[in-house]
Amino acid sequence: MNPQNLLIRPPQTQFCTLGCPILDKALGGGIPTNSITELVSESGCGKTQLSLQLLFTSQLPTTHNGLNGSSLYLYTEFPFPYRRFTQLVKSFQSTHPILFESARDPQDYIYMREVHDAHQLFDILSHLSFCLENKATKLDVKMIVIDSIAALFRSEFENSARDLKKRCDLFFRISACLKGIAKRFGVAVVVTNQVVDLMDDGGTSGVRVGNIEWLWSSGRRVCPALGLSWANCVNTRLFLSMCEVVEGVGEGLGDDGFVRRGKRRELHVVFAPHLPYSCCDYVIRKEGVSGVER
Amino acid sequence: MEVVTSAALSASQKGKLIAAGYTSIASFSSIPPFNLALELKISETEALEILKSVSNGSMLEATSSSHTIVNGAQSAWDMLQEEEVLVRITTSCADLDHILGGGISCKEVTEIGGVPGIGKTQLGIQLAVNVQIPYDYGGLGGKAIYIDTEGSFMVERALQIAEACSDDMAEYSRMYRKGSHASEVKRQPKDFLENIFYFRVCTYTEQIALINYLEKFITEHKDVKVVIVDSITFHFRQDFDDMASRTRVLGGMALKLMKLARKFGVAVVLLNQVTTKYSDGSFHLALALGDSWSHSSTNRIILHWNGNERYAYIDKSPSLRSASAPYSVTANGIRNSGSNTKRTKIM
Repeated sequence: MNPQNLLIRPPQTQFCTLGCPILDKALGGGIPTNSITELVSESGCGKTQLSLQLLFTSQLPTTHNGLNGSSLYLYTEFPFPYRRFTQLVKSFQSTHPILFESARDPQDYIYMREVHDAHQLFDILSHLSFCLENKATKLDVKMIVIDSIAALFRSEFENSARDLKKRCDLFFRISACLKGIAKRFGVAVVVTNQVVDLMDDGGTSGVRVGNIEWLWSSGRRVCPALGLSWANCVNTRLFLSMCEVVEGVGEGLGDDGFVRRGKRRELHVVFAPHLPYSCCDYVIRKEGVSGVER
Repeated sequence: MEVVTSAALSASQKGKLIAAGYTSIASFSSIPPFNLALELKISETEALEILKSVSNGSMLEATSSSHTIVNGAQSAWDMLQEEEVLVRITTSCADLDHILGGGISCKEVTEIGGVPGIGKTQLGIQLAVNVQIPYDYGGLGGKAIYIDTEGSFMVERALQIAEACSDDMAEYSRMYRKGSHASEVKRQPKDFLENIFYFRVCTYTEQIALINYLEKFITEHKDVKVVIVDSITFHFRQDFDDMASRTRVLGGMALKLMKLARKFGVAVVLLNQVTTKYSDGSFHLALALGDSWSHSSTNRIILHWNGNERYAYIDKSPSLRSASAPYSVTANGIRNSGSNTKRTKIM
């Protein structure tokens, strides 16, 4: 057993771009390899959008801040968003022509798999690490996205002490398994997670975790699903929030005119070993998710 | 009682011992070489030689000696003396150092727990850097072992903290020792990284194997002064259906770590997670790994949020009174909290 020399490890941690310089800057370079990054938000905030986007950006060569590998998308919520996916293929064709050079099709390098429960996830992951180890398979996955982790645990477990313990045990096993693969093969792992409304029941669900005292989205106080024990399983937690804002008052009808409403979306760093708290506005367009300077 | 003057030592060694107040051999024979070296301002090997020659001599008359009933036994007085010269690793946060009596103490096991994102890993990295501050700057001039079980150690972040530390050292020498060391080369941040022995463990078997191996490793690398395990918990929260066996394995590991701390005078820092515990009809937060584990560490520090500030609270310590102090995590590392501390953004 020998210690690693920190100076001759792969020079620095590799980061995978999100395909937008503003978002990359907010995250100190993008999604780090060798660790688990969690995206938390309520539905409609762009978790899936962002994770689909990463399936493409991870294929970019390292000179373009990609990981120069293929990607694996494990989805637990059905159906798979095909329409959105093809839309992204089109938009990447114009924004990142390098992915399509010499008749290359980035879709050939995206592997997808539906997952129904935690045990199936283990099967897939152990098969994956076998394939990654075996050079003959030429499988070169550098990005694993699990969308979403919460859905795996929604139905199977009851709220009894025994089931909670079993569930917690699974969290740590999944996390250790993912971290093991991430470390051995230099893979970036992204998991998405849902939020639940926070009920003030005197329990510990309202415990502050990370830089933000209260997570707000759409005017409700929320907290990430799966609780405190899962929070220990990820290295970085990002929170996507949404709130309705008045963008301006238009001319017109009656005395008050009409109010133009828009959605303001923000990306927060809840905790990360390499980043301080930061916050960045973003928009979801047809071309994908991108940050905006405030 | 055998007096120093009769011992088989060189005149200068005897002189140094007497000058430091040791008149009888029994008064210093049980002090570890490292501390003796520090006190007499001699090298550790020389201190070891003194102790060896003295113990050989006293072995001959072991039958007549009333002092050492059991070999290695110490009187409470000796222990008090020892505690006074106990070296500590600064946390870089003055308030935190204050309640800790100067920092994280060597020869002891300190457990630090808190919710995700409170700064456990940051504190771990800070200690791995601070242990390397040279003697001349009031540090230990040691090296660090960093055992990463969670994959949260980021080289970039360690480099940032090392940079800030080397800047602080340069500033210190500018302010307090003008001229004399002006030509001294500034310590490079990369040198700090070179002195952190980094181990990444991916399973609990690896973790146990590594901790068993540490004794040999530290014997070969005597200048290691801190062992940080980030976190002790992670691999022990999976794959254990039988909690009794987990408790046994953990207990064995804790004993090994305590032995390391005593034997080599290293500080052992164990980072722990927080879990919810159900008792008295309600849920509350507690450090993970259960009740029997809580006896495994000498000191226990809990990191928590208080409003918008981070606080450290001494939950358990045989020598320190329970107290709490605010701290903050800045781009430069762990620092004092409060508005006078400038907060700058990383990157």
